[in-house]
Amino acid sequence: MPEHGLTISPDGSTFTLEMQNVPVVDQPRWPSLDSVATPAKMTFKMVWKSTGDRVAYDDPHRQFRFTGFRASCQLEAQVEVPSIGFSWKSDPLEKSRADFAIMGEEANGRYYE
Amino acid sequence: MKLTTQLNPQQHSRRFLLKSGATALFSFAIPPSNNAFPDQTLATANGSTDPYPIPWLDKNGSHNQPAGPNLEPSHIYHFKGRVARCSTFTGMGTDNRGNRIAFGAPTTDYGVMQGEYWAARAAQQGTFTHI
Repeated sequence: MPEHGLTISPDGSTFTLEMQNVPVVDQPRWPSLDSVATPAKMTFKMVWKSTGDRVAYDDPHRQFRFTGFRASCQLEAQVEVPSIGFSWKSDPLEKSRADFAIMGEEANGRYYE
Repeated sequence: MKLTTQLNPQQHSRRFLLKSGATALFSFAIPPSNNAFPDQTLATANGSTDPYPIPWLDKNGSHNQPAGPNLEPSHIYHFKGRVARCSTFTGMGTDNRGNRIAFGAPTTDYGVMQGEYWAARAAQQGTFTHI
């Protein structure tokens, strides 16, 4: 994705991911093998905000370390499927929620020490 | 007249043979006037610059897992940088006929990764998202 799609607040407590007219595939019956795939476009904005509660995962066996914060995450989006004349728009950002979200820094694989 | 048969030692190396072989192979493999993919660039010999998947997820045929406590947040292996993940998303929306349609499920998860990753035997920079 283009780097400018992700903006981070100066204090690092808010990540905003925003993209317009991303080519996607509308595939309502996925993962069925005969699921029809139709070209679609998606515009979205997603915001992570730190709750201030620290989180640290460290798994030497699987070679990853994450340090960061629990977060809230909300999304607003708009989808168009031109070939079937369908469009859908979410309610405003504040109306959505995720029960689990985290944000922070990670190192894994060869960067795990 | 004495015929000199000594060649440059470097030309006898295994690497030279591999290079020669590859050149010969490509000269047959890609007809100059009948290439089905004229704009396709060749991948580097030691792998592309695409990120590595997480090995134990890739092994099971998947490149991601829902975000959760103590689960690997990144979708990229050999990575260091910023990560944000979420799961169990719920929300509502309206289609162009006025129907109210919900979105989200326990497995609806999103993520973004920005930083350095290792591929093609070099450090790469990139920003990736999973929507």
